[in-house]
Amino acid sequence: MIPAWHYDGQTATRHEVGIVAEDDALRLRFADGRTERVPWADFVWHDRRDGASIFGRRSVDGWRIGIPLPMTDLLARRLPSQSRYGGLVDRFGIWRAVVGFSALSAAVILTVWKAPDILAPLIPMSWEQRLGDAMIGDLGGRICDGPEGQEALDALVRRIDPKGSPLRVRIVNVDMVNAAALPGGQIVVFRGLLQEARSPDELAGVLGHEIGHVRNRDVMQALLRQMGLSLLLGGVGGDVGGALNSLLAASYSRAAESRADTYAIAAMRTANVSPVATAQFFERMASDEKKLGKGAIAFSYMSSHPLSEDRRRLFMSSVQKGAAYTPAVTPTQWRAIVDACAKDPDVKEGDLF
Amino acid sequence: MGVGNQDQTAFEFRGDWKEFFPIAASNLLLTFVTLGVYRFWATTRERQYFWSRTRFIDDTLEWTGKGKELFLGFIMAIAALLLPILGLQFLIQALILQGQTVIAGVLGLGFYVIILFLAGFATFRALRYRLSRTHWHGIRGGSDDPGARYGLSYIWKTLVGGLALGLLIPWSMTSLWADRWNAMSFGPHRFESTPEWGGLMKRYLLLYLVPVGALILGGVAAVSSGSGEGVAAMAVLLVLAFYIVLPLIALGYYAAYFREVVGTLSLSTINFQFTARTKEWFLLFLGNAGLFVLALIVALIPISALGLLSGFGDMQPGQDPFTQNPGLIVGMILAIVIPFSLVGPFIRYRNWRFFIRNLEATGEINLDALTQSQTRVGSHGEGLFDALDMGAM
Ligand SMILES: [Zn+2]
Repeated sequence: MIPAWHYDGQTATRHEVGIVAEDDALRLRFADGRTERVPWADFVWHDRRDGASIFGRRSVDGWRIGIPLPMTDLLARRLPSQSRYGGLVDRFGIWRAVVGFSALSAAVILTVWKAPDILAPLIPMSWEQRLGDAMIGDLGGRICDGPEGQEALDALVRRIDPKGSPLRVRIVNVDMVNAAALPGGQIVVFRGLLQEARSPDELAGVLGHEIGHVRNRDVMQALLRQMGLSLLLGGVGGDVGGALNSLLAASYSRAAESRADTYAIAAMRTANVSPVATAQFFERMASDEKKLGKGAIAFSYMSSHPLSEDRRRLFMSSVQKGAAYTPAVTPTQWRAIVDACAKDPDVKEGDLF
Repeated sequence: MGVGNQDQTAFEFRGDWKEFFPIAASNLLLTFVTLGVYRFWATTRERQYFWSRTRFIDDTLEWTGKGKELFLGFIMAIAALLLPILGLQFLIQALILQGQTVIAGVLGLGFYVIILFLAGFATFRALRYRLSRTHWHGIRGGSDDPGARYGLSYIWKTLVGGLALGLLIPWSMTSLWADRWNAMSFGPHRFESTPEWGGLMKRYLLLYLVPVGALILGGVAAVSSGSGEGVAAMAVLLVLAFYIVLPLIALGYYAAYFREVVGTLSLSTINFQFTARTKEWFLLFLGNAGLFVLALIVALIPISALGLLSGFGDMQPGQDPFTQNPGLIVGMILAIVIPFSLVGPFIRYRNWRFFIRNLEATGEINLDALTQSQTRVGSHGEGLFDALDMGAM
């Protein structure tokens, strides 16, 4: 008989008991001569401390027995083995589990990564339009939709995008040097960009890029991918997941961004609009970036926009000698676009959020 | 059996960070390769270690929670609560953008109340879960209160506490602590909590005095010198007040609060005390901040080595250092992520050690009368608590 200690789960009193291994059960003998039989299958491993292995019973809450170490071979064979990492990992061993989990995770990430390429084109345009409307509506009245400005803008869009389903390009009264493609073939140009731009050709280049996003169906892809990844990696917990997430999303946008640039260059070539002004616009942006130093270059990999310097070279190298370039729109139309917000009496002003 | 005396403290932590490190490291590895799913099992393993290294009188505590419970709780919380909440949030943002501010405002207010309820409910359920999975001498704790009532009182007490510039926050904090603990039990005994908030007000009001004092002092300095230097002095005083003095006073208040709420907690014939004063809390946070610095140093060594290797030194504008060497970016991420991911487990280790070292109990325990808890054992851990991402202490 081996001495052991025992809690019965009924009271907190500690019992000193003797144990005997029988064929199908462990027998406990109490100090008062009473005995208790516990079938081997009812045991669960709990802990190992103070020189003893501690086991519980599946069927009795709080029932414990502490058996001093080392245990006899017979006991060690009959009682459950130590649990370390949790059921599944213990069964395969940690290294095999790590390899298996890594393969599984890679497969899941690949699926989430690739699925939007297949899924996005399958989503009907009408759904995408409804989603776009639900997301932005009329932007709280911040759209500069005076007739002259909108007409001139539409003329510019038709020039670089004569074919294909009509797009909804609108000017938003927000002081931000940017333009964005939204679900449902919507493109918004922020007032800040119009004030920064020095010619209609610049705007044509920037718009061509956004139209590229729409025609490549990047928006829905990006939205789906973003949703999938944040669902997947949001589970990692704060720091790790967040960083990884933004990184993956950015490396995707990089590819889509350069495809959109290629699209813009082709569209401008077809429309006979010079890419020089757009290259100059990027040059101004690049000089802003240079002021921020080398840090900005390392960071720009993480940011969703490609390096303006790279983009400048791309547009500059697409200039064709001897091409008969004409301005994207007439000077009158250009004035109407730039003044669209100032001329719109009932537009609201302000930040987006 | 006597509890806690001059010779021996009732609670003792006997952990060793060298013993804890393999647990934290293997948890990190498994959490990575499972895209975070393992973290529920990781939490369980951490707690098993903390509990099993915590002695109360003559035996250690035992954590009997399971990773699977936390995982299922999390899934349930996501499905039943988080998705509807995110949907509502999306709706409100869309309404604001479309200019429907009145409807958005009403919805937003309802949203805020629901979040308050869930925060209270989750806090309660987490405490209940932790007690029901804590065994000592084979006996556990728990509660039969589902926590909805606590969620409601959490709403109104938080709102009242925030009235009058938050003057009643000490009242709401102590009163909610009492609501929570009075619903809990261990074995056959109910916890009893009777904290007083009046004594905390002196320290709490200091929080209001500091900014006013700093403004007056700075103003005097500015006027008396009547120069740019005076204005600079005022700015320095304000910055000092807000970033150093104010957090220290808040810590002083929290130390007093914690001494009060633990010191007025009892279980049958056992009374609890918490001994940490502001200085000890300060050292705890200083040490935790030190862990971040340590992680930064550990991360910087491989990063600077990798950086030199890849020639960051003579980089030209427009050149992308990563395209030539994709392995580099992975190496960089790992060099940053691994040390910083180990900070979390060790902060929890230090917090637990701090908590146990400063926890005292005195009185008498009758082991024969400490019978098994009759409370129901909920099967779904602190999922809601986890989903709402609220801290441990
Ligand atoms: Zn783009």
